[in-house]
Amino acid sequence: MKMLVIEDDAETARYVVNGLAERGHVVDHADNGRDGLFLAAGEPYDLIVVDRMLPGLDGIGIVKTIRSAGIKTPVLFLSALDGIDDRVIGLDAGGDDYLVKPFAFAELIARLNALSRRPALSAAETKLQIGDLELDCLTRRVARCGQQIVLQPKEFKLLEILMRNAGQVVTRTMLLEQVWGFHFDPNTSVVETHISRLRSKVDKGFPSELIQTIRGAGYSIGASP
Amino acid sequence: MHLRNLLRTTSFRLSCYYAILFAGSVLILSAVVYWVGAKNLTKQLNKDILGEVESLSDQFGKYGPDAVARTIGDKLGEPTERNNFYLLQDASRVRLAGNMQPMAPTSGWFDFPVPPQFDRRGEGDPIRGYAVLLPRGYLMVVGQDTHHLVEMKELTRRAFGWGIAATVVLAIVGGAAFSRASLNRLDHIHRISREIIDGSLHRRLPTRGTGDEVDRLSEDVNVMLDRIQTLMGGLQQVSTDIAHELRSPLSRMRQRLESARGSAATLTECQAAFDRAIEDIDEIQRTFSALLRIAQIESGSRRSGFWEFDLSAVAETVADAYAAVAEEKRQTLSTLIDSRLAVYGDRELVMQMIANVIENAIRHCPPGSAIRVAVKQAPGAKTVEVADDGPGIPVDFRAKVFNRFYRLDLSRSTPGSGLGLSLVAAVVKLHNANIMLADNGPGLRVLISLPDGGRPQSRIGATI
Repeated sequence: MKMLVIEDDAETARYVVNGLAERGHVVDHADNGRDGLFLAAGEPYDLIVVDRMLPGLDGIGIVKTIRSAGIKTPVLFLSALDGIDDRVIGLDAGGDDYLVKPFAFAELIARLNALSRRPALSAAETKLQIGDLELDCLTRRVARCGQQIVLQPKEFKLLEILMRNAGQVVTRTMLLEQVWGFHFDPNTSVVETHISRLRSKVDKGFPSELIQTIRGAGYSIGASP
Repeated sequence: MHLRNLLRTTSFRLSCYYAILFAGSVLILSAVVYWVGAKNLTKQLNKDILGEVESLSDQFGKYGPDAVARTIGDKLGEPTERNNFYLLQDASRVRLAGNMQPMAPTSGWFDFPVPPQFDRRGEGDPIRGYAVLLPRGYLMVVGQDTHHLVEMKELTRRAFGWGIAATVVLAIVGGAAFSRASLNRLDHIHRISREIIDGSLHRRLPTRGTGDEVDRLSEDVNVMLDRIQTLMGGLQQVSTDIAHELRSPLSRMRQRLESARGSAATLTECQAAFDRAIEDIDEIQRTFSALLRIAQIESGSRRSGFWEFDLSAVAETVADAYAAVAEEKRQTLSTLIDSRLAVYGDRELVMQMIANVIENAIRHCPPGSAIRVAVKQAPGAKTVEVADDGPGIPVDFRAKVFNRFYRLDLSRSTPGSGLGLSLVAAVVKLHNANIMLADNGPGLRVLISLPDGGRPQSRIGATI
C-alpha cells in the first residue's frame, strides 16, 4: 500500500516510516504541514498518517483542506494530546481514527489495516463467513458447522468486528471503543473476559480454534500466523 | 501616609466634587435670599417714605405750610428720627423747615448723597428721597437714610461668604478624613497583599464584619486564597506522590534490565527482559495518562463536551461489560436500572466514572460477593448506586479514598493505581454531583446523585 506520513518529530517519523516499510508498504514522509498538504493533495495515497501538531499548518488544517477538496483517503491522527475533546475535534475535522502517542506499533498497524479495509468491508455486507463459521448480521444468527450458536448482544458485536477484520489483528483498545464505546483503559480485563466467553461458545468442542490471541497486539480471527 | 496618596484617593476627589457642588448650591441659595431680602427692605423703605409724604401732604392741604413746618420741626426734634430727612421750601426756594438744603423743584424718587454733617458713620450711604410739588410752588421732600439697607445687604453677603467658606473647608477636611480612613484600610490590605505575593499564602485580608463593599471584596479574595492554597497544597502533594509512585516501577525496571544485561545468555532471555521492561513502561504511562485525565477534568474545561444523554443506557452498557468480569471472579453483578433517564453532562466521563466504581467493587470483593448496580430517579436528581457485600471501607478512611494514589493498607496487595476513585471524584465535581460512601452492612454502598435540570451552574465546591 502507498502511505503518507506527516510527522515533524524525526524520531517518531523514523519509527513509523521504517516500521511500515518493513511490512512492505511504500511510504512518503513530510516533516511539515505545507509539504504534507502538497503531497496529500497531489498524490493518490491509500492511507495518510498525520500528526496533529505540526509546524506551518497543523494536522486538523490539512485534513479539513483535503476533505474539502474531495479527497477521501482514510486519515489516522497521531497526537500527544490525550483528551476526549481532542479526539472529537480530530474526527470532526474529517479524520477516521485517532491514536495517542506514545503507542505500540502493533496498535498503529492494526488500526491502519482496519482503515484500509473500511470501504471494501462496509456495513453493506451482511453475511460473513470464516471457514465453517457463519454470521448473519440481519437475522443475528451465528452458526458453526451448521450448528447454531447463541451469543449475547456484545459477544455478537465482538465476533462481528473480528470477522469484518478477518485475517487482521484487532487490538484491545479497538474492541473497547467499538464494542462498548469505552474511550478509556479499564484496569480490569473486560476484553479478555469477553473473548474467553466468546471462545468457549465459538471454538470449544470444535476441531480448530478460530479466535487467535496475538501476543502484545490483540486478537484475530481467520489469521494464519 | 503621603499627602500625594491622599489627594489621589477616589474618596478625596469625590469630596472635592461634592464641595464644589455644595458651595455652588449655597451660593445660589444665598443669592436668592439676598435678592428677595433686599427687595423687601427697599419696598418697606419706599412705603415708609410714601406714607410720610402722604400724611404731610394731607396736613399741608388742611392746615397749610406752617403746620407742616411745625410737624417737621417736631419730628426732627425726636431723637429716634435721626435718620430721616425733610425739606419744605416755598416757591422762592426758601427753606421753611427741614434738615436739607433747598433745591430745584422736582418730583418723584431720587437718591442724593448724605450731607456730611449727618454722615455719622462716614460711609457716605446715599439717601433715598421722594419729592412732591405742593400747591402754590411749595416743594416737600421726605428722605430716609439707606444705611440699614446697605448694612443688611453687607451683613447678608458676609454671612453667606462665611457660610460658603465653611462649607468648602468642612467638605475638604471631612473628605480628607474619610479618604485617610479608607486609605489606611486599603494600605493595610495592600501591605498584606504584598506579603501574600511574597509567599505568605496563609495570610488573609482583614475584614471588619460590617459587610461593607471592602469587606465583601476582602471576603471574596480570602475565599479565592483558600482555594488557591488548597490547590497548591494538592499540587505539591501530587508532585510528591507522583515521584514516589514512579520510583518503584522505574527502579524495578532498572534492576531487571541490569540483571538481564549481566546474565541473559540467549536472545529469548533478552527478549523476555525487554518485554517486561515494556510492560513496566506501559504501567508508568497508564499512571501518567490517568493523572493527566484527572487534571484535565478538574480544570473544568471539559464542560464544553456536555450534552444530554441516556444515563440508563450508559449504565447498562458498563454493567454489561463488567458482569462477565465479575462472573469470572465468581461474583454476581445484578442491575436494577430504570430506563430512559437522561442527564446533562459528559457521556464518556460518566461512563468511565461508573466503570471505575464497579471495577472498584469487583476488585475489592472476595469471590461469592454480590454487587448491585441501580440507577433511578430520586427527588431532584438521578442516582447511580453501586452496592456490594464485600469488606467495605471503615468510616475514617472514606474521605481519603478519593485522594490520588491512596490505597487502604489492606488492599496494597491488590492491583490498581489508586487513581480510580480520584477520577470518580473529579467527574462528580465537574457535574456538580454528589458522591456518598455508606455502609451496606456488610459492604460498601456508593451513591452518586447527578442533579436534574439543564446546564449545571458553574460553582465551586460540590460536596464530596
